[in-house]
Amino acid sequence: MSAKLAARARRAWRLIRVRLARRPRAFARSWRSSLQVRVIATTLAIGLVTLAVLGVYLSDRMRNGLFTQRVDQVLEESARGTQQAQATFDSSTATTSTEVQQLINDVVLALRAGGSGDREVFMLRAPGQAMPVLVTPMASDASLYSLISKDLRAQTQKGPGQRWQSAAWPVATSTVSGSETVEPAIVVGQTVTVPVAGTYELYFLYSLQSEQDRLAFLQRMLAIAGAALVALLGTMTWVVTRQVVRPVRIAAEVAERLADGHLEERMPVRGQDELATLGRSFNEMAESLQEQIIRMEQLGALQRRFVSDVSHELRTPLTTIRMAGEVLHASRGDFEPAIKRSAELLLMQLDRFEDLLVDLLEISRFDAGAAVLDAEGRDVRDAVSAVVEQAVPLAERKGSWLSVALPEKRCQADIDPRRVERILRNLLVNAIEHAEGTTVEVTLAADAEAVAVTVRDTGVGMTIEESEHVFDRFWRADPARARTTGGSGLGLAISLEDARLHGGWLEVWSRPAQGACFRLTLPRRAGIRLTGSPLPLEPARPPDVETPVRRTGVDPAALPDLEPDVDLDHQDVR
Amino acid sequence: MKGRVLVVDDDTALAEMIGIVLRSEGFEPVFCADGDDALAVFRASAPDLVLLDLMLPGKDGTEVCRLIRAESGVPIVMLTAKTDTVDIVLGLESGADDYISKPFKPKELIARVRVRLRRSDDPAPEHLAIGDLTIDVTGHRVTRDGVPISLTPLEFDLLVALARKPWQVFTREVLLERVWGYRHAADTRLVNVHVQRLRSKIEADPERPEIVVTVRGVGYKAGVTPQ
Repeated sequence: MSAKLAARARRAWRLIRVRLARRPRAFARSWRSSLQVRVIATTLAIGLVTLAVLGVYLSDRMRNGLFTQRVDQVLEESARGTQQAQATFDSSTATTSTEVQQLINDVVLALRAGGSGDREVFMLRAPGQAMPVLVTPMASDASLYSLISKDLRAQTQKGPGQRWQSAAWPVATSTVSGSETVEPAIVVGQTVTVPVAGTYELYFLYSLQSEQDRLAFLQRMLAIAGAALVALLGTMTWVVTRQVVRPVRIAAEVAERLADGHLEERMPVRGQDELATLGRSFNEMAESLQEQIIRMEQLGALQRRFVSDVSHELRTPLTTIRMAGEVLHASRGDFEPAIKRSAELLLMQLDRFEDLLVDLLEISRFDAGAAVLDAEGRDVRDAVSAVVEQAVPLAERKGSWLSVALPEKRCQADIDPRRVERILRNLLVNAIEHAEGTTVEVTLAADAEAVAVTVRDTGVGMTIEESEHVFDRFWRADPARARTTGGSGLGLAISLEDARLHGGWLEVWSRPAQGACFRLTLPRRAGIRLTGSPLPLEPARPPDVETPVRRTGVDPAALPDLEPDVDLDHQDVR
Repeated sequence: MKGRVLVVDDDTALAEMIGIVLRSEGFEPVFCADGDDALAVFRASAPDLVLLDLMLPGKDGTEVCRLIRAESGVPIVMLTAKTDTVDIVLGLESGADDYISKPFKPKELIARVRVRLRRSDDPAPEHLAIGDLTIDVTGHRVTRDGVPISLTPLEFDLLVALARKPWQVFTREVLLERVWGYRHAADTRLVNVHVQRLRSKIEADPERPEIVVTVRGVGYKAGVTPQ
């Protein structure tokens, strides 16, 4: 039973210790995070220190006051008692030692009863007298002789006049157990002349216990008042800070909600005080913010609509022009050279115009948030192969080798094949264009979460600053450089949006003269948050700086079997 | 004479240009610039194919498409300036067989028109069975227990393509090539929409198809034919 109790106690103690250890940390945390805690703690600390100083000062003054008052009273009383005793002695006719003894005893007992409150009386014979009559010292309580110190006696013996000293009066509280308490006391001494017996020292012992009790009572009251004051102070501070902090806290919460996009959020405003003003100003700010944001949104939507509408509206006349151009182009053999060339240029530029329009429409669809992912589980290897196959003719023309590394395993991922192929086509065409006849490496890898494709060329490359702008719309690495294969300048911007639509990444690494590496990383399943890529972005080995093998012509043996360059011209019609 | 093509487009320049291209390929174009008149012109000219712009004054393209489809299985090819999924799917669901996005090349247009106008060239009688349906390929008839089922030429082609090789699973791309004549880079939504339409006509329960069966992740195949 007791063992169980002890175990429980130990457990409780451990818990308390842990709590205690935790408390400072928790307090430090709330100190940092809460204005209210800080204000209350500061106020309480200042209040406590002030009250402690005040309390010490006051109780000191009270003690001194009480003591001095009592001492004055005691001295007066004892002086009176001494006078009385001296008068008694003077008027006495005692001559024998027995009579003197009797006289002293009577005087002592009479004096003891004559004071205010408890007092004990002692009569001691002053030393160094040769008197015929010898009387034994007399005390109202003989056990207390020890309270009269030698020092006091010596002082008293010096001559007439009162001498006093503090003393500790042991008082038995219980006669049974013999326990004692020590009461504060004063001993006052004076000399009296006893007939026949000579000079005697008369001592009065006064207790100060009642003063001590009063002092203790007053101190207790003071402490209670102090505690009440501190509690009041704490409560007041808490209430005041709460009144101030609460609206601030609400303002912070509202501001947070606003930042999260809940533009309708407002602060409740009550009354006319400063906090209501804060609320009103806050709400006005939120109001104007909301207006501006809405206006910007509308403006943005309008602009996007405009781009989309323009692109749409352009399509019908463009179709007519395109068909007319084709018809002219088809019969260009009948024209004279200048007109023939014009027909060719017309058609070529129409192609470019059309590409630009298609890209513009696509990007406007992204901007409008109208792009939809048409995802299905596909083997990414198929997409890579298809794109590489389509790019082979261009690589051939540019004299670049295509090196493709596909894993043996199936690389299933939820992708929109149209978009992924568009990204890869963009990357590959870009790489071939900038490879300057060096090999373009396409690498595919997959891990549990992601599929990654890198397209690496070792051509001219770009500076870091340039590579930061690669995905910007209509950005050109070198504005002066002749554009060979055209392109709208939107290709990589669209690719980036396509990658984002998949929840994937499209990144670039590039250094001048070291070529560039583009990496597309796609999550294998919709909803996977990418944390890494199965392929490194930066090439591990430094690229060969030796002059790359430049192919002057097409080497059919080096190329995979090609499908004919598929175009609608070849389209079979059955 | 290769056939009469009704061009419904409010942009007269484009319509005229289309006319020039069609004529150069031996087709006979008929024009209509207003959605409200389209049905009347269609009835009067009895074309072999309709080229239909989706944005029309009066009745809009999808409405015209629905009206024509209600009384004829004649092939309808939409001309659309919008490539947005919703519009195309809406057009296909209202009965169009195919669509061309503006801007298109003349050859592309001609190719589409030709594919839709081709007729089965082999005159040898051919009968196929798929599920509980019987197909008379030459007679262009589909029957279930002797009761004819009305299909548009495109739906018929789709069904025949599946029925000819019941052991084969057709990917959407292959079907696009067989039925629509696309060689590459096309919109597989065409296949999805038309398979749905075909199912709604031939399946006993289109929610649980038994004749045109989906093979998840691959494509479609013919259902089991009871022997």
